[in-house]
Amino acid sequence: MFSFKPDRSQYPAAGEDGKLEIDLETGKYLKLWQGPNHPGITGNMSVELTVCGDEVVKGTTHVGYLHRGFEKLMERRTFIQVFPIVCRVCVPEPDFNEYCYAAAVEDLAGIEVPEYADWMRTLILEMGRFNSYMMFLGGIGGALGLGITGQWMTYLRDIMLDRFEELTGARIYHMFILPGGVRGHLPEGFEGRMEEVLDTAERYLADIDRVMFSNSVFKTRTQGVGYIDPALFEPYGVTGPNARAGGVAKDLRKDSPYLVYDQLDFDVVTHTDSDIWARSNVRRQDVQVSIDLIRQILRKMPKTGPAMAKIPNVLHWKIPRGETYIRGECSRGEYGYYLVSDGSGYPRRINVRGPSYTHAMALLEHMIPGTNISDVAALMVSLHTYPPEIER
Amino acid sequence: MGLREVLTPFTVWKRVFDEPVTIKDPIGRPGADRYRGFHQNDMDKCIGCGTCETICQNAAIDMVPIEGVEPEKGDSGLRPQIDYGRCCWCALCVDVCMTGSLTMSNEYTWVDTDPDKFRFIPGIDGDWKDDVAGYEREGQRVLSGVERIHMEEMEPEARICNFDEIVAGYTREEAVLEADRCVECGLCVATCPAHMSIPDYIAAVRDQDYDRGLQLLYETNPFSEVCGRVCTHKCESSCAALHEGDPIAIRWLKRHIIDEVPFDRRIELIGQPVEPNGRKVAIIGAGPAGLTAAFDLARAGTSVVVYEALEHAGGMMRYGIPEYRLPYDALDRDIGVIQAMGVEIKTSCRVGRDVMMEDLQRENDAVVLAIGLHMGRSTRVPGTDGPGVEKAVDLLRRITDGEEVPVPEQLVVIGGGNVAMDIARSMARLQKAKYGEVGITLTALEDIDHFLADPEEVVESREEGVEIFDARGPQEVMRDASGAVTGLRTWRVKSIFDAEGRFAPAYDESDERVHAGTMVIEAIGQAADTSLLGEALTEALEWNRGRIRIDDAFRTSEPWLFAAGDAVKGPDVITAVADGHRVARTVMEEFSARQVMQ
Amino acid sequence: MTEASKERLSGKATVREIFDVATEFERVAHRFYSELIPNVSKNIRWLVEELAEEELEHVELFSNLGKNPEVESVMAAEIARPVADSKFSDCVHTPDLGANPDDQAVLQYALMRESAAMDQYTELAESAPEGPLKEAFVFLANEETKHKAELEKIYYEIVHSGGV
Repeated sequence: MFSFKPDRSQYPAAGEDGKLEIDLETGKYLKLWQGPNHPGITGNMSVELTVCGDEVVKGTTHVGYLHRGFEKLMERRTFIQVFPIVCRVCVPEPDFNEYCYAAAVEDLAGIEVPEYADWMRTLILEMGRFNSYMMFLGGIGGALGLGITGQWMTYLRDIMLDRFEELTGARIYHMFILPGGVRGHLPEGFEGRMEEVLDTAERYLADIDRVMFSNSVFKTRTQGVGYIDPALFEPYGVTGPNARAGGVAKDLRKDSPYLVYDQLDFDVVTHTDSDIWARSNVRRQDVQVSIDLIRQILRKMPKTGPAMAKIPNVLHWKIPRGETYIRGECSRGEYGYYLVSDGSGYPRRINVRGPSYTHAMALLEHMIPGTNISDVAALMVSLHTYPPEIER
Repeated sequence: MGLREVLTPFTVWKRVFDEPVTIKDPIGRPGADRYRGFHQNDMDKCIGCGTCETICQNAAIDMVPIEGVEPEKGDSGLRPQIDYGRCCWCALCVDVCMTGSLTMSNEYTWVDTDPDKFRFIPGIDGDWKDDVAGYEREGQRVLSGVERIHMEEMEPEARICNFDEIVAGYTREEAVLEADRCVECGLCVATCPAHMSIPDYIAAVRDQDYDRGLQLLYETNPFSEVCGRVCTHKCESSCAALHEGDPIAIRWLKRHIIDEVPFDRRIELIGQPVEPNGRKVAIIGAGPAGLTAAFDLARAGTSVVVYEALEHAGGMMRYGIPEYRLPYDALDRDIGVIQAMGVEIKTSCRVGRDVMMEDLQRENDAVVLAIGLHMGRSTRVPGTDGPGVEKAVDLLRRITDGEEVPVPEQLVVIGGGNVAMDIARSMARLQKAKYGEVGITLTALEDIDHFLADPEEVVESREEGVEIFDARGPQEVMRDASGAVTGLRTWRVKSIFDAEGRFAPAYDESDERVHAGTMVIEAIGQAADTSLLGEALTEALEWNRGRIRIDDAFRTSEPWLFAAGDAVKGPDVITAVADGHRVARTVMEEFSARQVMQ
Repeated sequence: MTEASKERLSGKATVREIFDVATEFERVAHRFYSELIPNVSKNIRWLVEELAEEELEHVELFSNLGKNPEVESVMAAEIARPVADSKFSDCVHTPDLGANPDDQAVLQYALMRESAAMDQYTELAESAPEGPLKEAFVFLANEETKHKAELEKIYYEIVHSGGV
C-alpha cells in the first residue's frame, strides 16, 4: 500500500571531515529528544534525534541516566558480597550475571561445581531467557502500537516469575546461583507446575503469531526496516539474535557449550533478512527453543545430588591471582564477565560485557539516519536493548 | 500482503471472553514457601555472633543489645537489627548464620508511615515472627567449614610404652585450612580467662604471618606453648562453629604459631623490658600465675625474684601434667622467655624453711603469693590410712622428679577429673614398661557424662587400657590380714546431685563391687598448703571460706601481700595466667599510688 | 537392765524423754562447735562458726518450746521411739577430733550428725501429737535436711575441688 523511499537530496551534505552540516538556525532541522523518559525508549537512555520533517537525519545515543557504579562497587566487596550485587546489573534477565560471576570465581578458585548445580543453572538461565523474550515480544508490539502483546507477555512472564519464586525464593533478583553451586533443589511438584506455564505460553504464543506475525501492519512496519548489513556484525560486535537474524548461525550454547548444553538437543534459529521482522522472528522461534529446552532439562536432570561444592569460608575467601573471562549466550547475545583477582579477598576488577553496550550505543547511531521518527522506537527495541547492562 | 493478514489478527478477539488473569486482590497473596520475605530470628538459638552483620554487603544489619537477653558464655547478648531501608533480601545472612536461628518468613507486605519502624529486630517485632513458610537454608551451612581438620595423634599401641608427646601438631597446610573456618565472632575472646585475641592470631595463621601471631600471643599469655598443648580451651566451648559442626581447634592453632617460631626469634619479637624502676617484688611459687605476674612486672622494669620450693620451675604444669601431654622442653621454652626478661627464679627454696616470709616482706616492695594446690585430698574412707594408698599429686610429682615409684600389676584410681586421668595414664605407661600390660581400674562418683575430665582424656585413657567404672562411691580400702591393700569396695551411686544441683550422693548399697588392686590412688581434690604463712600471718589475714580473701584486684587484707592462682581462684593454667596478669597490674598500680603518696 | 534400757526395748518413750534428748543434742553440739572455734586454723574457722551458729538457733527453739504450756501438757504422753534414736543419742557424746582438726574432719563429723538428726526429727514429726511440738519437729526435720544438703555441697566443693 505504502512504499517509503527517502529522498536523499533533502539531507544535509557531509563536509570534508565527513560530519554532517546541520544548521539549526535555518529552521529546516529540529532536535528531538527521545528519552530518557519516553514510552518509545527501553529503559533509561535517550536518543538525540535531528529530524527534517519526520525523517531522522542523525541520531546520537546518550547514556548515563542509570549509572550505579556496580563494577566499582564490586571492587569494594568481598567475593561473596559481590554475589547479591551482580544480578542487579541487568533487571529483566539477571541470572546471566549470577552465572557468569559464579563461573568466573569458580574458574579462578579451581572449584568443581556438582553436576546437579550445572543442570539447575541451565534451567534457571533458560527460564530467564524465556522471560527476557517475553519482554521483547511485548516491547516490539508496544513500539509499533500493538498494546495487547505487552499485556499477554507480561502475564506469561508473571507466571514464569511464579516458578522463579517457588524455586529461588524471589521473583526478580533470584540470587540463586552462588559461587560453588546453587542454593537449593527443585521443590516438589515443580515439573508439573512448570509444564502448565509452558502450555499456557504456547497457547498465547500461537495467538501472538496471529496478532503480530500475521498482521499486515506489523509486517509493513518491520520488513525492510532497520536493516543491518551483516558486514557490520564483526566491527560492531553484534552477537546473538541480532546476528542470527542476518544469517550468522552463531550461538555460544552450540559453539562453545557451557554448563550442560552439550547434553541438550536444540537447533540454532536463523533468518536471512537482517531487518526488524527477521530479528523479531528469530526471537519468536527462540522462545520455542527455550520452552523445549526447559522441558528437556526437567526430564534429563538428576533428581538428587549435592547442590553446592565445598567452598572455603566465604568471610575471608581469597581468590588466587589471575584473570578470566566467562561468557554465555543470553537472550541478547554474548554476555560476559571479565574478572581479575590480585590474590586478595576483593576482586581487583570486574568488567561486565553486556550486549546492549555495542548494540544500542554504537550500532543504533549507525542505523538511525534515514528512518522515520516513529520507527526509532521499534529499531531500538528490535536490537533488544537493556540499558542497565550498558551502565554497570 | 493479502486480506488474510488483515483479518487474522482479529481472530484473537476470542480472548475477550477469557477470565481475566490479573490477581484481583494482590495484598495478602502469600509468597512461595521459599520466599525471601521479612526476617525471623529464634532468639534462644541465636548467639549474637554477628556473622550476619559481617557478611551483609549493604551494612543493613546492626548487632544491638536486647532487653532480657544477657551476655553469657558463648552468647554476646546482642541480636541482629535489620534496616529494611538497606536490606536487599539476598539472605546471605540466613545462609551464613552459625546456629540456623536466622530465617525468613514469606511475608512481604508492610506498610507504615514511620520510616524508623523499618529498622526492626527479627524475633521480637513483626507479625510474621512465628510463620512457618519462608526461606530457610537448605541443609547444613556451606559458607564456612563445618568439620575440624583432623589432628594427627599417636596410636594407643605406639604411645602406651613411652611418655612421648601424643599430639603431632598441625602442618602449615592443615593449620591454614583450620584457621579458615573461623568466622571471627570473638565469642571466644570473652570466654578466655586471659582474653587472648584469638580471632586475630587465627587470622595470622591464615596469613602465614607467624611473627605477628606470636606477638599477639605474648600480648596476653606468656605460656602460649603450654596452653597450646594443655589448655582447658573453654574458648572452644563457646565457639560459634560448634553449633552446627566442630568448634575451631583454637588450642592447636595457638600451638601451631608457637611451634613455627624458633626460641631466639621469640625473644627478639617480644623485645626487651623497659628501664628498671627500682621496685622489688618477691613471688612465691613458680607456677603459671606467679611466672605470668613475674613476666609482666619484669617487663615493666621491676626487679622480680620467684621462690620455688621444688627443684624446677613450672608448678603444676611440670609436676601435675604428664610429659606425654606437655613435654618438659616445651615448658622450659616458655619459662626461658620469662627468664630472658630478667626474672630470677630461685628453685628448691621453700618459703618458711629456706627463707622466711617476714624477710620477704621486709626486703621487697610487694609479695605475691601464688602457691597453687599441691596437697592431695583423701576420701578418708576406712582403710585409707597406711601403706598402699597414695595421692595422685604426690605420685605425679615423684614421676616428674624421676623417682622410683611403686608400680603394682593391678591398681585402683579414685577420681574422675583430669588429675585422675593423668595418674592413671602415667601409671599405665609404667606398668606397660614393667609388666608388658596395663592393669588399672578407675572409679569415680560422677557418671561418665558428668566427668570433670576432658572427654578426650576419657577416650584416650580407655584406649590405653584403663578400665573406667563410673558412678561408684568408694566405701572402704580392703586390706588382708597383713594389712596389705587388696582392693577398693564401692557402691553404685544412684544420684550424685539433688534436684537443685547440689551434691547429695545417694548410694545403692545392694550394688556393691570390690575392685581388685594392690594399690589405691586417690585423685579426688587438692588443697593449698598455707602453712608457709605462719600462725601470726594466718591469724592476721582475712579468709573467705577456706581461701585467703582477695578483692577483685587480688589484694589480700595485708597491704603488702597479693595472692593469685589456683590457691585463691583456680582451676586451670589459663585462669592462673589471667590472674597473674591482673595481680601484676594491681601491684604496679599500687606502686604508682605509693609514689603519689610520697 | 536399767529402766531406761527396758523402755528403749519396749519401743515407747515419753515426749519429755525425747524432748530432753533433743534439747541436749542441740546444746552439746553448740558447745562442741563453740569450743572448737579457737582450736582450728583461721582458714577453716568460718566453717565451725557457721555450724555453731546454726546449732544455737536450734537450742533457742527448744528452750522456747519448753516454756510453751501446750507442749508442757503433752510431756507425759507416750509416743513411738524413733528407730534412729540410738544413733541420735550417741551424738550427745562428742568425739575427739584432735587438737587441730582440718576442714574435712569437721565436715565429716558435722555430716554424720546432721544425718542422724535428720532421721530422728523426720520420724518424730510423723509420730508426735498435733500441736506446736509436731510443728517444731517438722520444722527441725526440714532444717536438718537443708543443712545436710548444704554441708554436702560444701564437702564436695572443698574435698573434690582442684581435682580438675
